Amino acid sequence: MLEAQGLGKHVVAANEALDILADVSFGLPAGASLAIVGASGSGKSTLLSLLAGLDAPSRGTVRLAGEELGTLDEDGRALLRGRVAGFVFQSFQLLPELSALENVMLPLELAGRRDAAQVAGQWLDRVGLAARRDHTPRTLSGGEQQRVALARAFAPGPQVLFADEPTGSLDTHTGERVADLLFELNAASGTTLVLVTHDERLAARCGARLRLAAGRVIEQVNA
Amino acid sequence: MKTATLVLAWRQFLRGLRAGEHRTLIAALTVTIAALTAVGLFAGRVSGLLNSEANNLLAADAVVSADQPLPAALRQAAEARGLTTSQTQTFPSMVSANGDAALSTLKAIAGPYPLRGTLTLNAGRGDYTVDAAPAPDVVWVDDRLANRLRLKVGDAVRVGRLEMKVGALIVREPDIAVDFAGLQPRLIMNAEQLPQSGLIGFGSRIRYRLLVAGEAPAVAQWRAEVDQQLTRGQRLEDVRESQPQVRRALERAETFLRLVTLLAATLAGTAVLLAARRYSAKQADAVALFVTLGATRARIRGLLLAELALIFGLAAALGGAIGWLTQEALALLVRDNLPDALPLPTPWPWLAACALGLVLLAGVAGPTLMQLARTPPARVLRRELTAPARLWLSLLVTLGAAAAVFLWVAGDARLALYVAGGIVGAVAVSGLVGWLLLWLVSRFANGFAARIALRQLARRIWLSAAQLGALAVGLLGLWLLTAVERDLLSAWERRLPADAPNVFAFNIQPDQARAFQDALTAGQVKDAVLQPMIRGRWVERNGQPVQPRGYDDERARRLAEREFNLSWGEMLREDNRLTAGKPLAGEGWSVEAGLAETLGIRLGDTLTFDVAGTRVAGKVVNLRTVEWDSFRVNFFVVGTPAMFADAPTSLITSFHLPPERRAEVAQWSRAFPNVTFIDVGEVLGEVRRVLGLSASVLRLVFVFCLAAGVVVLLAALETSAPERRREAAVLRALGAHSRQIAAIQWWEGALIGATAGLVAGLAASVTGWAVGRQVLELPVSFNAWLPLASLLAGLVLAGGVTLWERRRLSRESALGLLRDPS
Repeated sequence: MLEAQGLGKHVVAANEALDILADVSFGLPAGASLAIVGASGSGKSTLLSLLAGLDAPSRGTVRLAGEELGTLDEDGRALLRGRVAGFVFQSFQLLPELSALENVMLPLELAGRRDAAQVAGQWLDRVGLAARRDHTPRTLSGGEQQRVALARAFAPGPQVLFADEPTGSLDTHTGERVADLLFELNAASGTTLVLVTHDERLAARCGARLRLAAGRVIEQVNA
Repeated sequence: MKTATLVLAWRQFLRGLRAGEHRTLIAALTVTIAALTAVGLFAGRVSGLLNSEANNLLAADAVVSADQPLPAALRQAAEARGLTTSQTQTFPSMVSANGDAALSTLKAIAGPYPLRGTLTLNAGRGDYTVDAAPAPDVVWVDDRLANRLRLKVGDAVRVGRLEMKVGALIVREPDIAVDFAGLQPRLIMNAEQLPQSGLIGFGSRIRYRLLVAGEAPAVAQWRAEVDQQLTRGQRLEDVRESQPQVRRALERAETFLRLVTLLAATLAGTAVLLAARRYSAKQADAVALFVTLGATRARIRGLLLAELALIFGLAAALGGAIGWLTQEALALLVRDNLPDALPLPTPWPWLAACALGLVLLAGVAGPTLMQLARTPPARVLRRELTAPARLWLSLLVTLGAAAAVFLWVAGDARLALYVAGGIVGAVAVSGLVGWLLLWLVSRFANGFAARIALRQLARRIWLSAAQLGALAVGLLGLWLLTAVERDLLSAWERRLPADAPNVFAFNIQPDQARAFQDALTAGQVKDAVLQPMIRGRWVERNGQPVQPRGYDDERARRLAEREFNLSWGEMLREDNRLTAGKPLAGEGWSVEAGLAETLGIRLGDTLTFDVAGTRVAGKVVNLRTVEWDSFRVNFFVVGTPAMFADAPTSLITSFHLPPERRAEVAQWSRAFPNVTFIDVGEVLGEVRRVLGLSASVLRLVFVFCLAAGVVVLLAALETSAPERRREAAVLRALGAHSRQIAAIQWWEGALIGATAGLVAGLAASVTGWAVGRQVLELPVSFNAWLPLASLLAGLVLAGGVTLWERRRLSRESALGLLRDPS
């Protein structure tokens, strides 16, 4: 489902060349889960954005759902994401002016689905927020916001879910509940999961693991 | 664009509306369109009224006159367009009664009269107005003829072969000033009687006039059509041409109205600029999320454009409605001061305002939003990422749009140039002064609050600069409005004092000069200066014969054709101003600058005039402007005494005579039978009406624009509010007392406010002075107090906003502010 070959990212900052990611290779079959772990600044989020096609690599290739990302332009990658990928972010990324329901409807509407409101309602129900569908993010707690984000990520039925520190902004208790929900929905939907985290306990729940330090893989456990 | 995108754009628009996300942009656009619609509609209606009022001096909207009977085709063409027509014939003839006779000007009317303005009569039982010729056996006479022939209402007078009855005395005749024969006693009769009267025969000096009135577009079309068909001896009469005073007053009123519209557009454009910036900043996260969720660039562009179009549509509708209501309210407020009902509004100003709003939006918000469409999707992971700025594109499009808007609204390149110069100057200087001030204060400030405030201002230097610029432009707009109201308008009002001359006397012979002046002095008439006047035809320019037909411009053709009133004198009169060349000495001409421009006369050209058979030639030594609306005697072309040593000369003068002493003219007329008196009271009254009407209307529009300006200023100060609130939240989280935060914000606001205030005040003083002197040609003095007042106002405004924000901050928790600073 997801495959990386010799992946690297090279940037020039303050007139100095910097390899923020080098030589990452792995393969992830459909339905499997991968945790990308490492300390802050180790290159986890950079790797995630390359895998999801949010950014282009300096070297190497990524194959997502059978498509070689390097052969696609920015728009091609966006269309592919729309078709196969879902996202959960550390900072939730809910649009503040939209209600919980409208936030979940957004990817469905982008896909032109006529049943957007109905499907979004069902997913809010699944994450236990049916009663708060008309609330805006401002009036929801952090845990509730992330549950809305989970509903938004799963609603269009993605093949791959990219999660960037999904519990990073939450306290331990809430974080655990959100993580439980994430794995539960993932299992039920049969989605391939790519999870970026620095939480070892969360990482341990994934089948495969990739540990990064200073942009390099220092430990790789395959599924 | 796909339907799904349109549907999504519509939903996003509705959601944004509900959440108040589009509020600022919609408000700015609505204010822009409302202000321009209101000002445009109102100015257009007032301008229409002023023009039709000025047409009262013609007694019609348009007049063709000729020394031969006019072809019926002209009248038929007017009637075919639904216009009302009437015809008059004016000629000199002897009128006798009570054993006495007087040379008078007779006007025979066929059809309704007047078509514009009023003809006021008095038959002994108070004044009344009429709208048609008298009955066939009745005539109306003016008080000069009544005095001369000792006539009363009901007396019989002999006109040619007919004996008729005096039906009434003429109190006010609308077109007397345009009618050349205003000099002699007057009599009005019905044209039906002309054939029997025997007055018309071979060699009669008759002026035939066709009067036309109706809807302005139809009149304009008819004028254009007739202009093509005019033959020799026929001409279209125009108040603006025959009465330069009225022309100048109308032009000035129009320039004032355009200036105000321009300032309203500037203020509104600033508001749209600020709102678009906030709007795009708010959209950045949503765009990044859309791209992450699979939207293509084209789709994002489509979404943003469709949403923007919906916002614009709503603002256009709202703005149009508010603008229309506002101008109706303005019209209601001035209704009692108006001589007549305002013409009906047209949808054009609204369409123009919408187009203007669209140009502003496309120019200002367009590049920013298109840049947004390129926001990297990775922004959802790292907030600091934004689309690479194409600043030059934004700058280019904005500048282009602003220039187009300016030229369009100003309708006058010079006016646009001065105001744009003021704005660009203010923005540039405010940047420089702001930078200097930051540097200076950072060297000498040692308080905690001042240091933090400076550091924050310096950190977001571009935002600070943009805010400073917007604030300076907003304040500049306000101050210019104030300067226009306080300095320019009153300079115009001062120009026309209560004792402006209202009587012209000419054809005074040199040997009568002393006696004439004595008579005026005995009648307590002051300031009547006699000046020489010689009639001459312009025959050559630089040795080449003058060919009036060679001019494309209708006005130039007529000016070149007619006889010039020449004069001489080496001293420049106080209401004249030299614009090029040197003072007259020896031999040479001094030419009025406007005439020189119309006829293509340049400094150094040799002009030759035919004065009673003698050719008088000289070089153009200087060009000068003339204050035509001073109502003093003035000449287009002035030579030197040496050039006219042998020429037959008469003298001319103008003076003020209170209207109630108008009968004294008849006495002087009897004492000096060869002297011709023209009463320009009607024209003077017209100029006064234009001035009074414009002044009251302008003052009202100013108040409206000022209110709009204050809104823009508040928006400018609000523009950095989210950043300031975030900073305040961090400071509070770190333990800062709310008084310390307020002090920091006060310093920030004060620095920006004071700088913008000072710069805007200076720029407004200079621009106001330049527009007054160069465009409106009014003696305006430099307003030195404005910069100081402006500096204080900037401080007070900034203080006000700080206070308001302090109240808001004190109600919110640090966490709340950190989460949502907007």
